Amino acid sequence: MIRDITIGQYYPGETWVHKLDPRLKIIITLVFIISLFLVRDFIGYAVAAAALAITIAISRVPLPFILRGLKAIFIIIIFTFALNMFMTGGTALVRVGFLTITREGLYNAVFMGLRLVFLIIGSSMLTLTTKPIKLTDGIESLLNPLRAVGVPAHELAMMMTIALRFIPTLLEETDKIMKAQVARGADFESGNIIRRAKNMIPILIPLFISAFRIAQDLAMAMEARCYRGGEGRTKLHELKFKERDVAASLLTVLFLALILLEREFWAILEMLAISR
Amino acid sequence: MSIVVKDLVYIYGEGTPYETVALDGVSFEIGDEEFVGLIGHTGSGKSTLVQHLNGLLKPKSGQIFVGGTEITARKKGLTNIRRKIGLLFQYPEYQLFEETVYKDVAFGPSNLGLSETEIDQRVREAMFLVGLDFTAMAERSPFELSGGQKRKAAIAGVIAMRPDVLILDEPTAGLDPRSHADILDMLDKIRKSRGVIVILISHNMADVARMADKVIVMDGGKIALAGTPAEVFAQDEFLSAAGLGLPPITKFIREMRQKGAKIGSNPLTLDEAEEAIDAYLTTKRGAGA
Ligand SMILES: Nc1ncnc2c1ncn2[C@@H]1O[C@H](COP(=O)(O)OP(=O)(O)OP(=O)(O)O)[C@@H](O)[C@H]1O
Ligand SMILES: [Mg+2]
Repeated sequence: MIRDITIGQYYPGETWVHKLDPRLKIIITLVFIISLFLVRDFIGYAVAAAALAITIAISRVPLPFILRGLKAIFIIIIFTFALNMFMTGGTALVRVGFLTITREGLYNAVFMGLRLVFLIIGSSMLTLTTKPIKLTDGIESLLNPLRAVGVPAHELAMMMTIALRFIPTLLEETDKIMKAQVARGADFESGNIIRRAKNMIPILIPLFISAFRIAQDLAMAMEARCYRGGEGRTKLHELKFKERDVAASLLTVLFLALILLEREFWAILEMLAISR
Repeated sequence: MSIVVKDLVYIYGEGTPYETVALDGVSFEIGDEEFVGLIGHTGSGKSTLVQHLNGLLKPKSGQIFVGGTEITARKKGLTNIRRKIGLLFQYPEYQLFEETVYKDVAFGPSNLGLSETEIDQRVREAMFLVGLDFTAMAERSPFELSGGQKRKAAIAGVIAMRPDVLILDEPTAGLDPRSHADILDMLDKIRKSRGVIVILISHNMADVARMADKVIVMDGGKIALAGTPAEVFAQDEFLSAAGLGLPPITKFIREMRQKGAKIGSNPLTLDEAEEAIDAYLTTKRGAGA
C-alpha cells in the first residue's frame, strides 16, 4: 500500500523522451504547467491531453504505472472537485439538503479536477523519464546563472538529489518498521483518531531514528570521499544540446502557439472580422 | 499446532520494471513442536516466506493453514493469529522505540491485554532467557545499548508474547560467540518448557545441523531440498551448488574420508564426530595390531 506512492520514481528506458537534455525537459515541463493555467476551455485541454498522450506513447512508460501516482493524491483531487462543485454560485441543477450543485459549479469542478490531473501526470512524466542524477544536473545548470546573486546552485541541486533518492528508502523503512510492530501485536487499523495517532508512536520513533542514522552515514560517506560542495567541481557527464533537443524545442514552441491560439481564438476571429 | 503451506507464489513490485519473483510455488508442512531450520543463499526468499506465515505479506496465489485455519483468505481477524506467531525480523534492533528496555519488551505482552503482574513476570522471564541482566538493563534506554544488546532486547520483546510458533530470522547474525550460545540456549529452554514450533533462519550450518529436526533448503524462490539434517547435509555437492556449505565438522570428516580414513557415518555435531573418530581409531588400531 505504501509502495503505491510513485512520485519522484524513475521508469528506466532508452527512448527519445528519456534521452532528451534534462534542462530542456525541465523547461518543457514548466511550459506545460503554465499552459495548463492559460487554457480556458475543454478544447484547450484536448490539445494538452494530445501532447501528453504523444509524450507518454513515445516514452513507453505504461499507463497503469503513471496512474498509480494519481492514486496517492486521489483525496486531494476529490476534495478540489467537491469544493468547486458546491461552492460556486449560479443556476441550480440539483439540491441535496443544504447543498446545491450549480451548472457553473459542475463545470468548474470538472475543469479544476482535470487541471490537477494533468498537472500531476505532466510533472511525473519528468521524473519518470529522467534519472534523479540527470534531473539535478539539469536544475543545477539552470540555476547556475543565479550564482552571481548568491544562489547556491550546486548545494540546492545536491539537496534535491538526496531528498529524491531517499523517498523510496524511507518508505521501505516505514514498511519494515510497521511490519515489525504489527508482528508484536500492534494495531493500526482500529480505534478513534486519537487512539490511532497514539498508535503511530511505535512507527514514528524508529523511523526518525533511522532517518537520522541514514543522514549521518551519508554525510560521513560523502566526507570520506572528499565531497566539499560545488567549488571547483567538474562533471563526469557534460550536458550537451543535440538534434533531438532542437526538435523537441520546436515541438514545444508549436504546442505553446497552439494553446495560445486556441485561448484567443474568439478574440482573433473578432479582430479579423473588424479589420475586414 | 501445525503449519501447512501450499503452492505459495509472491512477486515484489508486480507490474513495475523492478518485478522480482521472490517465491515461486513453495509447499511444505511443519508438524507439532517441530524445529525447522530454513537455509538458503542470500536473496533466496527466506525472509519473504516467513512474513507470509503471520499474514504480513499476502501471496499472489497459494494457501497457508496455521493450526487448521486458512490465513490467506481472510482480511480481518489476523491479529489473533499474529499473537500466536512470534516473528523476529532480520535486524530487529530497528523496531525498538520505548523509553526503557522494560517498556519495549512489555510492548508485545501489553498488546495482548494482559494484567500488569502478568506482563511484569513475562518481561523478567524474557530478559532472563535472552541473557539480559534485569537490574542493569531494565531501566536503560534501548538506544544506548550496544548492537548485540539491542538485538537481545528485540528478541526478548518477541518471546515475551509467548507465541506458539516462534520464527527467528537470523537472530544470531553479528553476535559474539557467547551471545550466540545464549540465544541458542534460550531456544532450547523455550522448547523444553512448552511445546512450540520453531523456525530458525540461519546461515550457520552447524547451528541448523545441531538444533533442527527438519531442514528446508531454499534456492531462487523454490524449495530445493527438505529432510532431516542428516539427509540434507549428505548432499554436499547439491548444497554447494545452491551457494551453501556443510557444517564444519561434517566437512572435516568428509575430508578425512577423502584422505583414506574409513569412517562410515556422517556426523553433524561435535559429539557424533567424536564417536565416529573414536570408532575409526579403534578399528584401525585393531587392524594394525
Ligand atoms: N521489499 C522488497 N522489495 C522488492 N524486492 C524485494 C524486497 N524484499 C526482498 N526482495 C527481493 O526478493 C528476493 C528474496 O528476498 P528475501 O529477503 O526473501 O531473501 P532472503 O532469503 O531472506 O535473503 P538473506 O539471506 O539475504 O536475508 C530477493 O531477490 C530480493 O531482492
Ligand atoms: Mg532475509
